[in-house]
Amino acid sequence: MPRSGPATMMGRPRRPDRARSAPSPDRPRPVALPHRASGREAPLVPPSGSSPRLDRSRAPVRVLIALLSLLLGAPALATATSEGPAESLPRLISLNPSLTAILVRLGAASTLVGVDDYSAQVVPEVAGLPRVGGLFDPSLEAVVALDPDRVLLVAGVDQEGHAVRLRRAGVEVDVYANERLWQVFENIDRLGALVGREARAETRIREIRAMQAAVAAATAARPRPTAIAVVDRSPLYLVGRGTFLDEMLEAVGAENLVRGLAPGYPRGSVEWLIAARPELVLDMTPGASAARSFWGRWPSLPAVANDRVLTVEASRVSMPGPDLDEAIRELAILVHGEAIAAEIDAALSSAATPAGERAR
Amino acid sequence: MKRLSLARLSLVLGGLCAAVGVITLVALATGPSDVGWSQVAGIFLGDESDVDAATRDIVLRVRGPRVVLGLLVGAALATAGAVFQALLRNPLADPYVLGVSGGAALAGISVLALGTTFALPTSSVPMAAFAGGLLATGLLYWVSGGRGRSSPTGLLLTGVVFNAFASAGIVFLASVAGFFEGSRIFLWLIGHLSAVEIDAVGVVATSVALGLATAFLLSRSLNLLALGDESALHLGVPVESHRRWLLLATSLMVGAAVAVSGLIGFVGLIVPHSLRLVIGSDHRLLLPAAALTGAGFLVLSDTVARTVLDGRELPVGAVTAIVGGPLFIYLLRRAQARGPLA
Repeated sequence: MPRSGPATMMGRPRRPDRARSAPSPDRPRPVALPHRASGREAPLVPPSGSSPRLDRSRAPVRVLIALLSLLLGAPALATATSEGPAESLPRLISLNPSLTAILVRLGAASTLVGVDDYSAQVVPEVAGLPRVGGLFDPSLEAVVALDPDRVLLVAGVDQEGHAVRLRRAGVEVDVYANERLWQVFENIDRLGALVGREARAETRIREIRAMQAAVAAATAARPRPTAIAVVDRSPLYLVGRGTFLDEMLEAVGAENLVRGLAPGYPRGSVEWLIAARPELVLDMTPGASAARSFWGRWPSLPAVANDRVLTVEASRVSMPGPDLDEAIRELAILVHGEAIAAEIDAALSSAATPAGERAR
Repeated sequence: MKRLSLARLSLVLGGLCAAVGVITLVALATGPSDVGWSQVAGIFLGDESDVDAATRDIVLRVRGPRVVLGLLVGAALATAGAVFQALLRNPLADPYVLGVSGGAALAGISVLALGTTFALPTSSVPMAAFAGGLLATGLLYWVSGGRGRSSPTGLLLTGVVFNAFASAGIVFLASVAGFFEGSRIFLWLIGHLSAVEIDAVGVVATSVALGLATAFLLSRSLNLLALGDESALHLGVPVESHRRWLLLATSLMVGAAVAVSGLIGFVGLIVPHSLRLVIGSDHRLLLPAAALTGAGFLVLSDTVARTVLDGRELPVGAVTAIVGGPLFIYLLRRAQARGPLA
């Protein structure tokens, strides 16, 4: 088997600083470390004696359980049967929260038989599913033991190597990319096709595009504030060009000053930041009170002087997932103020009405 | 050994002082923003006509603390390196050899890695690191003060074993840490000055002053200790007590340096060795010269680290390693060509 699968051919450089500094933007905040560690070790790794073969021999039991829960009306499975026959659905493992969230949003949560730790943290619907490790350290054994038809992961960080290892172990792997907005649309489309939810996927994409257009219309006439988005304060990591969050800032009519500095997620210097004089600072580091004391030390920053340091929970605006329309709207309100909400809604309905008339 | 005359002492140290002064001014006037000589001169000479709040912040609160702490940390590391190389009679000894770094790093990284869980502020990291360095020094003191006499080999082994233990602990902590903690641990292990706070200057300056003063006062004993314990004893040096004082004082200042900057490598190796080649190995001259050269070298390296990528930062430990590694190999080759390594 060749060393480089399609995933490695995506050619993401694996410099250590980048691997550490550039999470997929949907990288959720690490909430409780012991929880994470125990979540990886405790229930996931099967007892040493079990093997995929043994697992498969239990398949009839699983089918029986599935049927029983169908009869008893288990909610997750019930939604799965609302569209298409249940037996044709693949058994999937998602290793990325954004892919997990898309599947759940398309009503295909029941196709998932396992998720990564971060999915379980940020997508409540899958919190009860077996976990197969974190974004950086998924457990090959736990994945193989769940006997999936397909494993879904996002290229980048260490996942490429993991894709290669999984393929060697005979598991089918689908690699997705979510560094750009258009890639997220593509992901929704692909996943919709994979689980037979093409119609829902199409609606979702249309709704997000409509919101994008409405926000663009509402922000077009407003001044574009210069902005800096911070992934981590100390050491200072910023959102540079060619990233998902850069596109999000662009989409809501803010000018990302870090664009000129570097692509990806560069480690910026405080001096550069002070000299750049951002009108808006979007701080996504966990810990809001620490943010206030950190930024309060630099009153010469226009954003600090005018009280325009916004602390945002990263998973709300930076998840390249299915609810981008909500995220774009929320970010637009953060950047331009509550008043823009009405303009966005007006632009949305004025765009919807002619379409409705055409349909008639 | 060349005779040490007052003229030679003042010539060498005066020259180095001037060089450090120039480097300090260059460092204050250089950075990724366009704040330069005229603004810096304006701020220090009281003519603030073309200085706004942001410029003041950049000079006094961003560059200033880094330059001051860079001077202190560089002086501490280079002097500690020179002391340990003589004390342990091992040319490869560095400031971290006795496990001080291990103790400081383990304690600091414990707080970094578990800080989120127990809601500890990031500002408690240097304090924990300093305490860890002190604990490691205490351990060393206890081991070296146990039954019988401490030998350089015994000390060296204690340090090596303790450092190995500490790095195992660090690897464990790094592997359970989350993403944000992970990136901080990574930076800390390379060593950087980008997160220094001006309020750290007090503790670091006191520790470094104590360490330097002890080392300078005992520099004559160090000359004799480098000849071997027996010779030193015959020449009237209270070997045990002087060695212990030197260990304690230098470990204290290394602990303080590691606490604010992490593990900056190579300064403690290349600065003393390069100086020995140029000015000889009389510690009465070598130690103050090492302190000045280390201070200048680290501030210069940090100036490169914060300007070379234009608005992005390199950890200064990467710069000292890039410069230090090849320089050290060159020095080793040169020393070997002259004869067996002393």
